[in-house]
Formats: sequence, C-alpha cells, structure tokens
Amino acid sequence: MSRLLLVAAVLLPLPAWAQARASRDTMPRDTTPPAAYFGVIEYQLARQKLELDMQRGGFSVYIIADMEGLAGAVRNATEMRPVIRGGTPQHERFRQELTEEVNAVISGARAAGATQFIVNEGHGGTLFRNVLVEQLDPEAILIRGYPKPIVMSTGLNPMVDALMIVGAHANAGSPGIISHNFAFDSFTVNGKVLNEPGIAAFIGGEMGVPMALASGDDVLTAETEEMLGPLETVTVKTAFSRSAAAVLPPATVHRMLRQAAGRAVRRVMAGELRPLTMEKPYRVRFCLRRSFTEDDWVRETIGRLQGVSANGGRGCFAYTSESAEAVGNLLNEVEWTVLKP
Amino acid sequence: MRSIVVAALLPLASMLQAQTPPPSSAPFRDKQIPHEAGFRVFVVPDMEGMASTVDSREIIAGNEGERFKDHTSPDYWDRFRLLVTQEVNATIRGARLAGARSFVVNEGHGGNLFANVLPWELDSSAILIRGFPKPLIMVTGIDSSFGTLMFTGAHANAGSPGVMAHNFAFDSFTVNGKVLNEVGINALIAGELGVSVSLVSGDDVLIAETQKMLPNGFVAIVTKRAVGRSAAITYSPAKVRRMLQSGAAEAVRRERRGDFKPLTLDRPYRVEFKLRMSYPDSMVQQVAALSEFKLEKTGGRSFRYQTDSARQMGWLLDAIEEVVIR
Repeated sequence: MSRLLLVAAVLLPLPAWAQARASRDTMPRDTTPPAAYFGVIEYQLARQKLELDMQRGGFSVYIIADMEGLAGAVRNATEMRPVIRGGTPQHERFRQELTEEVNAVISGARAAGATQFIVNEGHGGTLFRNVLVEQLDPEAILIRGYPKPIVMSTGLNPMVDALMIVGAHANAGSPGIISHNFAFDSFTVNGKVLNEPGIAAFIGGEMGVPMALASGDDVLTAETEEMLGPLETVTVKTAFSRSAAAVLPPATVHRMLRQAAGRAVRRVMAGELRPLTMEKPYRVRFCLRRSFTEDDWVRETIGRLQGVSANGGRGCFAYTSESAEAVGNLLNEVEWTVLKP
Repeated sequence: MRSIVVAALLPLASMLQAQTPPPSSAPFRDKQIPHEAGFRVFVVPDMEGMASTVDSREIIAGNEGERFKDHTSPDYWDRFRLLVTQEVNATIRGARLAGARSFVVNEGHGGNLFANVLPWELDSSAILIRGFPKPLIMVTGIDSSFGTLMFTGAHANAGSPGVMAHNFAFDSFTVNGKVLNEVGINALIAGELGVSVSLVSGDDVLIAETQKMLPNGFVAIVTKRAVGRSAAITYSPAKVRRMLQSGAAEAVRRERRGDFKPLTLDRPYRVEFKLRMSYPDSMVQQVAALSEFKLEKTGGRSFRYQTDSARQMGWLLDAIEEVVIR
C-alpha cells in the first residue's frame, strides 16, 4: 500500500504526456514472440467462428472500417486518437462519423440486395475499438478489439461476397491525408505495390472475394483504382497537405456512400468486379517504417520471424509463400511487434 | 559517447539549415477543389472578430503546445466552435437567398491548426477546407471561378487597438508601402485572380482600417466595439447571425451588379515585413533560412521580399506559418 502511494505521488504531478513517456521508458518490453499469440491456426479458427454465424445463401458484405479517410478528418494527433492514447476529445465525434459512414454503406448495400453485414474495425489508433456499438446497424456483426488474427481481415472467408473499406487512407509515402501502410514504408507482392485496401484485396482475392468499394481522399481513391480497378470509389476530400483538405459535407458523403455501395453490390452480382489474383508463389518484399527500423529490437525481432530474410537495405525484408493467409499472418506478427511499448 | 557524436554533428546541422526544403504543403500548390456550377462564394471564417469572443481562451483549443499551455480552455473553445459554424451558416443562407449556388468555406483561424468549424453542423451544401499546413493558408483553394470572397469574424491589424489584434506572424506587413492586415493580404492574392471582397465582419477597429485598405468598398458588419484588446461591447450571437444573413445577401446582389472591384497593386510587389517581437530568435533564423523565397534581411526581424506573384507571396506566408505554428 505504501509503495502504491509513493508511485501515485511520483506520477500525479506529471502531465498526461509525461506519464505516458515515463511508463514507456520504465516498463519492460513484452518480448513474447508474436507466433505465440497468433499463427495461421488461430486465423483459421477465427474464420470458422465467423462462418458459424453466417447465413447460407444471400449476399454477404465484409466492411473494413478505418478512420483517416472519413469525411472531415485531417489530423492524426487530435482526431484519430482517444484521450487515453494521447489524443483529444475531438476523436469522439469522429467515432460517430465512422459509425454513420458504415451505416450508410450497409443501407446502400441492403437496398441492392445484400442480406448480411460484417464490420471489422480497421483503425489502430484506439486499438481497434472505434465504432459506436449502440449506433451501428443492428443487423451487423462487429469484430472489435486487439490483438486479433490478421488485423484488418480477421475472419474474412470464402462465404463473403464483397469486400468494402470505408475511411481508408493513401499508401505510405504518397501525398494523402495521414498516409501510411501498416508498419511499412513499402510493401509489394510479386513487385506489385499494395496499400492497406490492396493487402486486404490480396487476402480476399485468394478466397475469391473482390474489393468492391473504397472511400477516402482523392489520393487514396486514385491509387486504389490503379491498383485494384475496376471497383467503386467515393472521394470524400481533396488533400492539400498530409493534414489539410477540402472536405465534402458529411451528409453528402453519406449519400454518395449509400449510392456507391448499392452500385458495388449490383456490379459484384453481375460479375463485373473480379477478385485480385496473383501468381504463386507470392514473393513479398517490405521495408519497415523508418521509425521502426531505428528500433533495434523491432528490426531484429522481425528479421527472426519464420521465413523472413534480410533483403536490400536496413529494415528491408523478403518473404515467400504459397498462401495469402500466411502473408496476412506475417502482417499480424509485424503489427504485434511494433504496437508494443 | 552519444553526446560527443551529437556535439560533433551540430556545426553540420547549422550548415544544412542554410538550405531549407520548401514548406511541406509545396507539392499541393497546384491542386484544385472540385468545380461546382452557379455563382460561387468563398467564405473565410476567423474567430477573433466573431460575435462575443474577447479572450484567447475562447479561441484556442488547448492542444496548441507549450506557447499556449497556461491560457487554454477546451470548454470555452468548444462552445465558440458551434457559434463560428452558425455564423458561417448564416452567411451562406443570405448569399443563397441572393442567388449564390456554390459555397466553399476555408478555415481562417489557426487555433486547433485550422480545424474549428464543425463539419457536421455546417450548411450541408458547403465544401470545407480544414487542417494545416495548406498552400495559401486563408485563401487555399481559391481560383478565378469564384464570384466573391467574404471574411467573417476577422480581426484588426497587429498593433491596432482591436480585440485580439494581430496579423499572421507579423508586427507589420506592407506591400509597395501600403499597410495590409490579414483581410488586405488575402484580398491581394484573390484580387490577382479577379476575385473581389464583398463582405467583412469584425470589430469596429477592423472595419475602419479595412475600409481604408480596400478603396473599392464592401458590405461592412460591425459585430462588436473594442474597448481594449480583450474587452468589447458586443452584439448577441443571434443578432450578428441576422446581420450576416442580410449582409451576405446584399453583398452577393451588389457583387453581381459590379459594385466591388478586386484589389490590385502595381507589380513587382515590394513586400516588407517584421516578424513578431514575441518570437524567439531561433524562429527568426528559420525564416531567414527559407531559401526558396530569397528574402533580404533588413534588420533584426525585418525582411524585404520582391515578387511578381501574390500567389507566391501566399506560399511564403504558409512557409512562415509552418515555422511559427507548433
């Protein structure tokens, strides 16, 4: 008890940011190997668990809910993170916007004949807990929390008919709002550059699921069309720097999302939108984000992951596999490594 | 050991500083906002001159860093976010009554890094430009397709006795010897594109000085009378909204009749400015090192700059803002 009081006395006078810094410096790093948390087996189990809930027949839509590409969002530090992770109360309003945009997609897809909806939290700023559960369409199944097998594609399975992503952001290095790509500065499969929607489309593609809709800023929609096209896109803002944009009114964005989701479902039904297919074996090349490359422990841990070999410069690696699921799981292991203190 | 290495690198770092890269918004300078048909209105809302605000606690978000640490309050600011949004809505409503059909709102207030208007409460036909940095700061996204430019909640020039008076990062700013406040600087950039100012709202000091600056006139709306830098005799927000609505309608009608003219000055523009005394020397050095703009240092914090393009002068403003903000 007295030790507790001492700790409290030391911590209390510090502002919140200093406390976060202090705990980061003093807390020992969790060095549990990522494979001990999730391997391909766990991923397959997650798939099976979701399949138990899925209806036979009918049209199923799997929606990845990210936040950087939402109507109005421009700034990572204040709008994308909650207070408990160093953000501000402004984040709360964007959770509501996220929920409304997901609901708009669901209602558009439903109007076009879709009957089942799975929503997977794709935004890491809150450790994948952003959608306001009480406001989400009551028919939707929600996947939330962290860690979860294959972060942005948890449970994705061949019974899904269409993959959609809302609030997506442009690839690392491109001039879009809060642009990034998981923990990478670059990520390619067989030489093809993939952003976050691209990686999800690659994993879904192997199961025969097409990416049918992506929404975000003008940079994201242009690059995703080039990468995965044809597909439906909704441009919700025009980037004027990595943290400024001309944004469309949220009500307009909701209307555009409803219409685009309906078109996307109809086009998938008509066989116009095809899954992304790539030749096996998949030759994956990636370079870690510069800030992670500087972290010796992160770099070395990732270098030791099964099947990963050094390739090119510092922080750059190669990985070859016959299975997109395995690539997805590698992604999960990398996330698990970098999201820790 | 590490500190020795750092010390050894320091002279190298200051050498590198002499060649600074362009501001981070530079790659976005030629980007355009989506085009819309009909008479287009470009609205620039600021917060110092809106109804009722008198103190920086009311217009700063509380996450602006060291400089503002002891005078911020998210609660006050939150309330005025809604009021600034409603002032913009009233302006749009008035302009629409007079026949305007397309509305772009560009955040003019640097608090919370140009993200104050609430997107969800804003008139649902308006495109909103928010965030920082942005290539032309207060007139980012403007082009010759706009029929008119309006400033709401503007504040008086640095050094004048207006409420929260200031001027970007400057203690003084002149072009060809003509003193310009924020409205004046932006009017010049827009003027080059053939766009004129038709409405300005703010305190009495701002209105009086701007009327001298823009000889071609505009619809003036006095929201409050300054009785100190942090005190004013102010109209209620509801009354100011009514004034803005009828003022914006009048502004659009008179603009379409050709009553107002774009602000133009002789080229080349000879720009002279003095950075705020309150900035540390390190900021002054960083501004002096902005190699893209060929600034001539004429005194401790005074600079001279010559250009044929007001748009380029706008890019300089953003480069300086990127140094002094945060």
